[in-house]
Amino acid sequence: MAIKGGQIKDTHIENLAKIVGTSAILYKKEDLLAYDCDGFTIHRHLPRAVVFPNSAEEVAKIVKYCHEYDLPFLARGAGTGLSGGAIPLNGEVIISLTKMKRLVSVDLENRRAVVEPGFINLKLTHSIADKGYYYAPDPSSQYCCTIGGNVAENAGGAHCLKYGVTTNHILGLEVVLPNGEMIEISTNGVLDPPGYDLLGILTGSEGTLGIVTKITVRILKNPEAKQTVLAYFDKVSDASQAVSDIISAGIVPAALEMMDKTAIEGVEAAAFPVGHPKDIEALLLIEVDGISAGIDEQIQEILKVCRSRNVREVKVAQDEKERERWWANRKTGFGAMGAISPDYLVQDGVIPRSKLPEVLERIRQISEKYGLRIANIFHAGDGNLHPLVLFDSRKPGETEMALAAGSECLQACADAGGSITGEHGVGIEKREEMRFIFSDEEIAAQTNIRDVFNPKNLLNAGKLFPTPGRCVEVKRNEKMK
Amino acid sequence: MLATEFLSELKAILRDSHVQVEEDVGHPLGNSGRVTVCPQSEEEISNVLMYADNHGKKVTIAGGGTKRGFGGGTEVADLLLSLAEYKGVVEHNVGDMTLTVKAGTPFQSLQEYLAEYNQTIALDPIWPEYATIGGVIAANDSGPKRFRYGSARDSVIGMRIVYPNGTIIRSGGKVVKNVAGYDMNKLFIGSMGTLGVISEVTLKLRPLPKYESLILLSFQEGKMEEIRAFAVELLDSLMEPTSLELLSPSLSERLTGNHAYTVAISFEDVESAVHYQENFVKRIQPAKTNITILPLKEARAFWKQFYTIAPNGRESGSSNEIEAALKIGVVNLDALQVIKASHILQDAMNIAVEAHGGLGHGLCQIYIKGTGEEVVAAIERLRQFVIPLGGYVIVKHLPLALRQKVEVWGEKPSYFFLLEGIKTKIDPHSTLNHGRFVGGI
Repeated sequence: MAIKGGQIKDTHIENLAKIVGTSAILYKKEDLLAYDCDGFTIHRHLPRAVVFPNSAEEVAKIVKYCHEYDLPFLARGAGTGLSGGAIPLNGEVIISLTKMKRLVSVDLENRRAVVEPGFINLKLTHSIADKGYYYAPDPSSQYCCTIGGNVAENAGGAHCLKYGVTTNHILGLEVVLPNGEMIEISTNGVLDPPGYDLLGILTGSEGTLGIVTKITVRILKNPEAKQTVLAYFDKVSDASQAVSDIISAGIVPAALEMMDKTAIEGVEAAAFPVGHPKDIEALLLIEVDGISAGIDEQIQEILKVCRSRNVREVKVAQDEKERERWWANRKTGFGAMGAISPDYLVQDGVIPRSKLPEVLERIRQISEKYGLRIANIFHAGDGNLHPLVLFDSRKPGETEMALAAGSECLQACADAGGSITGEHGVGIEKREEMRFIFSDEEIAAQTNIRDVFNPKNLLNAGKLFPTPGRCVEVKRNEKMK
Repeated sequence: MLATEFLSELKAILRDSHVQVEEDVGHPLGNSGRVTVCPQSEEEISNVLMYADNHGKKVTIAGGGTKRGFGGGTEVADLLLSLAEYKGVVEHNVGDMTLTVKAGTPFQSLQEYLAEYNQTIALDPIWPEYATIGGVIAANDSGPKRFRYGSARDSVIGMRIVYPNGTIIRSGGKVVKNVAGYDMNKLFIGSMGTLGVISEVTLKLRPLPKYESLILLSFQEGKMEEIRAFAVELLDSLMEPTSLELLSPSLSERLTGNHAYTVAISFEDVESAVHYQENFVKRIQPAKTNITILPLKEARAFWKQFYTIAPNGRESGSSNEIEAALKIGVVNLDALQVIKASHILQDAMNIAVEAHGGLGHGLCQIYIKGTGEEVVAAIERLRQFVIPLGGYVIVKHLPLALRQKVEVWGEKPSYFFLLEGIKTKIDPHSTLNHGRFVGGI
């Protein structure tokens, strides 16, 4: 069969091309290179092919084919994932869902919308903004990441403190199971469908249980009012204390973000500087929203807390433009590290809020130990840290050091009673770190669930869980030498 | 006798714990056990389950007993595992706003404890005085305030679960945001104790609202379109009601003395914001409706009474009149039709019906009283009405003999094989709450 670029020798590719059409498949090496990793760039592997189905039925046909011929496969959205969940470790057939990007329906009265998995997160809010509605989960990559990917990763974002992460907003799913069978779970958005909470298990399963082909989400009405506060501190400990005090005062901020000195240096050198003072140790970006009549009271309380914690300067955004500038500065924070370092590694630990000062101190010690700078940008309100390890991959051994430093930061979070990932997922990156928080039995309890959905383990194998008996394999290899 | 041998073995496992042989095991609601055990530690729970699982014994799980009439086709299991004595706060991190508790802790006592710290669990289940936190979560109970605060799946951040083979599994963690591994918490919430015994729960807390009030807006009979228009207008406004619950005329009469379709709109916020929202509702109040505003204490008193309207599985149920409770899920605004259909049923049949439903979340609770035959017929008629709407009917309370005549969970979903697969993986001998869940798993 002739596809553009000449004859293909792989009959599987030929057969897959019959399903999606010859213009909707990539198989030549030069085309596949763009798919050898996602937002986690340290591991790379070429897929066997990339197919671009246009409908759930096509997805089901592809999956059925892969299942029949034991071909490993995985789903991919925009490829913005930060833990390597879409990297074809086993030379998978990548099912790219970027062509399935329709907004299927919007029902404002019942506050729900149905989208295809390739639909861009922020586009949903844009589509309903004129009616005063929005979709709450707002990962920093929301301008380009897909809602299907958000479901796979159970994506979070700055405003999840008050409104919850993706799983709190998923009402229904249409799913192609790893054997090609298609199921619908509450796609009409009816709550609590009888049975175990499959929506809950599928969301955040990092593409290992099924491929979602339609998503019913909850949409929210915009808050009546919104106020944003920026506070500069000379001591990290004061900023951390202010975070605890705000929450203890009974305020549920819509967002409560923190950046340390290194992070501020980065964002000020990047595309959206806002003129933060260079010599402060930490800043807090605090947003409250809700009924206008109650907002001022909360803002006054927040200002009071900041002052009692020795804030150097604290200000309220004067208009929407100023607010947007502050947020643009924050949301592009990761990328901004490129302005002060050739490479960076993002980590994603979670700790109980009250442990902030001690964990930040440990991260500082890790940074010293490895001689690598670590910037901290994070969702302080829910204790979700993002240590950014700055390094230079051209220097021999520095990538490995950065990985080790990142892993140690996660150990620090686990030791503080926290978790190794708050919103980026485990993927490839944190497979081994799963052992920091789960016993072998607890990991087996999870893989048992995978076996129910994905018994042949053809779908996105090698992700999420540590490799059993890894030490044994290493030893065996040594013997063979 | 076999039973005595069984008993002495159990006593050896549990030592100090209570092991009690039940003399009179028959109960109209079923879900009893020949022997009741009340473990006082997680290790004891684990030992009991391991014993039962190894010896082919069936175990029924109970907390406060309020949901005894919810599901299950067994009158008497080998063992009744009661968590009533496994209670208390394990850890309360006030600054982190997280709470870890033992599963047998009564819900109300937790709320009273938390109120001293101006904190609360954002759930409003029935019979909070008796219902345990473990039971509320295992049955996924929620009330009208779910509209604003969500359900157990939005509050639970971690659990300890004892598997049927005695293994103790932790799910989630103690932090409010966590995506490490599968979100296993979700699997156990609403699983009706068919996968494991929840021994400990970690919850994310909310600040206790500084002020609250409740607006009761009653409509003239037959004006369903007006109720709908009002709900749509409020939902489309910038107000943030905590509940938007429609009460049937009979339920309204019981709670307020006024026999009329009534919408219960509650607001929880700082006082100025609550009054501001009350004023908004007054501004859009439709003609020929009556409005009553219950301030703080009266609003709380209303809700306190509200949570006792459902049948309580702790009661003997020996009266001749049959009581049933149904949970109906439909697309949000279809709750209007469901409440109306239930109300009409009362006139068409010789039964008493009280009903309420959330216009912002679509979950309805229907309480029916009558003879067994009529109650069963009413359930069937409601199912015939609800299924074409894309909804479901679950029977939350009904005597055992009648549960065997209706499908408690309705028809199996098309993906039942996944549910069955999960059950078989975790509880291969069907030791726990045998047959109490969807499709008899």
